[in-house]
Amino acid sequence: MSKQSGGKISRRKFVKLTGGAVAAAGMTSAFLFPARAMAQQKTLKIVQWSHFVPGYDKWFDNVFTKEWGAKHNCNVIVDHIAIGEINARAAAEVSAGKGHDLFMFLAPPAAYEKQVIDHREIYEQVQSKHGKMNAVAERSTFNPTSRKFFAFSDSYVPDPGNYRKDLWSEVGFPNGPDTYHDLLVGGKKIKDKSGHPVGIGLSQELDTNMAVRAILWSFGGAEQDEHGKVVLNSKHTIEAVKYMRDLFKQAQTPEVFSWDPSSNNRGILSGKLSFVQNAISVTRSAEKDNPDMSKNIQLTPALKGPVRRIAAEHVMSCYVIWNFAENKEDAKLFLADLIDNFESAFKASEFYNFPSFPATVPDIQQLIANDPKAVPNDKYKVLGTVGNWVTNVGYPGYATAAIDEVFNTFVLPTMFAKAARDEMTPEAAVKAADTEVRRIFDKWK
Amino acid sequence: MIRRQRWLGPVMFMPAILYIAALVGLPFVMAFFYSVGDVKVGSVGYHFVGLRNFISVLHNPTFQIAVRNSFIFTITSQILVLVGSTTLALALKEAFPGRRFLRFIILLPWVAPVSIGSIGWKWILDSLYSVISWVLVRMHLVKAFDTPVWLGEPKLAMMSVILVHTWHMLPFATVILLAGLTAIPKDIPEAASVDGAGFFRTLFQITIPMMLPIINVAVLFGMIFTFTDMTVIYILTRGGPYDTTQVIPSLAFFTGILGSDLAEGAAISIFLVPLLVVVAYMVLRSAHRAEVT
Repeated sequence: MSKQSGGKISRRKFVKLTGGAVAAAGMTSAFLFPARAMAQQKTLKIVQWSHFVPGYDKWFDNVFTKEWGAKHNCNVIVDHIAIGEINARAAAEVSAGKGHDLFMFLAPPAAYEKQVIDHREIYEQVQSKHGKMNAVAERSTFNPTSRKFFAFSDSYVPDPGNYRKDLWSEVGFPNGPDTYHDLLVGGKKIKDKSGHPVGIGLSQELDTNMAVRAILWSFGGAEQDEHGKVVLNSKHTIEAVKYMRDLFKQAQTPEVFSWDPSSNNRGILSGKLSFVQNAISVTRSAEKDNPDMSKNIQLTPALKGPVRRIAAEHVMSCYVIWNFAENKEDAKLFLADLIDNFESAFKASEFYNFPSFPATVPDIQQLIANDPKAVPNDKYKVLGTVGNWVTNVGYPGYATAAIDEVFNTFVLPTMFAKAARDEMTPEAAVKAADTEVRRIFDKWK
Repeated sequence: MIRRQRWLGPVMFMPAILYIAALVGLPFVMAFFYSVGDVKVGSVGYHFVGLRNFISVLHNPTFQIAVRNSFIFTITSQILVLVGSTTLALALKEAFPGRRFLRFIILLPWVAPVSIGSIGWKWILDSLYSVISWVLVRMHLVKAFDTPVWLGEPKLAMMSVILVHTWHMLPFATVILLAGLTAIPKDIPEAASVDGAGFFRTLFQITIPMMLPIINVAVLFGMIFTFTDMTVIYILTRGGPYDTTQVIPSLAFFTGILGSDLAEGAAISIFLVPLLVVVAYMVLRSAHRAEVT
């Protein structure tokens, strides 16, 4: 039946002939019209923030992605957006069901779990090569209930203390405060003596969110326990709130209620503040714009509280691949290759991005202990212990969608601020915040 | 010709209808749909939950603060806008050298994007670099280390956002009132003047009563713009300090977009609807009256 006769062409032959013709036409057109051939390349679309360190974006956009694109015959398009636009942009892409193949968040995007692929496969591939990821990355991208990795973290940013060495030396703390008690005692002395206040924010913004969490945890309090149960209303939390109230009254000024994320940077760089808790954006800005001040601003690890020494990551780099991404395979490959090249990323970010996979920067201690831009050269050496004190938002549990809403609606900054201003007693402020956290947790059950 | 006229009207009208349907009607329907569902930013399905989101919102103390603040923000700024725009309109009606330039300057805050203007004000009111505080210090009215924290003290922060919003809204109301003022026949105030009426008597017994329909339109439009606006507050205070400048639209944004709970964000914004319906009804009635008179 299938045999054909005479001048007739069999179906198989027809497919071969036409297929060959189409391939030849394609090759010819690729030769004649290289621009059109380029258009047939695969495309990988990435969106991420405009990095604080411009050198990182230069490396990422002009070196790494270019080389990666050439190697994989893929046209990599990188779009940069401001921090404040990230959540709205993500919501818009999900709503449209269209957008970038790789979307980078600066906080754990647990609420988007159902819209993203399980990133486990990438983690497994990377871990087989570079060893285990650190706890902060795991607890920021994994949902223990669904057992799904809703994001992939390449890095996080530490949140150390930045202090004025000259001012703190004058009051007997040449190495800056080591504990929250030191901060209160020394900060008060400095303010009384020279008028320079401490700069821990009490406003509705990122840096405050991180700083008050560090105080809360250091005093033994937490929003939730390791199983995700709300435990905010505790004597530890009340003690933390009382401490913040004392710190505000004795060593700060009301301007902390009006701050945005860049206010404490400006405050210490202008010479007004004696201490802030922030990423190394402070010291890097000083090195670039104010070398004299740079010598005076030094770093200290997370301060020790009555219970522990701990601080949140300042920002958490979390990439997601949407379910609707058009080029999932290259997106996965890209992330794995980014980790392979993380030492370059670490250097390009000027030590801002710390690795989620510690083994990717094996000589990290040597690098940070000898930075030619820093005065002294080992200024960043204190970050060598960051693995011992950094944790995720949601500690001691995981970074869940409920924790994210608590974070983004500023429940904790409001709790601390109301007590600091005596709008509420510490007990009442904690109770009100606990009620609000429970209300939010109930919604996300 | 008659056939052409029959379809020309609807065709000309269609872009406006499409615009309103796509950019106002559809989002409104979706907001209502979301508010009775369990929609989060990452949801893949939809489940009807009745009034659960509204009940949850009512249990949120910040919502109660936001409702109160919305009224304070709107009513105070509209009173200031009304007084300011009436004064400006009366002043700008008279011919004097540089009037056109002054009108242009006054119109600028309305023409410039509100976000740009608000960022400028953020710097003017900054805790460290406030030019206002600098001037006050130089005039020895405040101490250098004890300057007012314009955006950090609850009352000052509310006052600041109200004044910045008033600054933005003033030109719009001024232009409307100026149009109304120029429409008053000149012979009426002239006759009053001949009869011995002074400036204030003419103003309160002739000018303002005659402008009342147009004033109503300006105020009611201003109320709608103010109740639904969050730009000034988002840029200046983000609802702080500790939620003391939070208003309904900003809380809806924080909860819905930043907090990822679209359903509750929609429920918060839906609370504005009855309020806006009343205001819209009053706008339409005032406009109708103005048309009739």
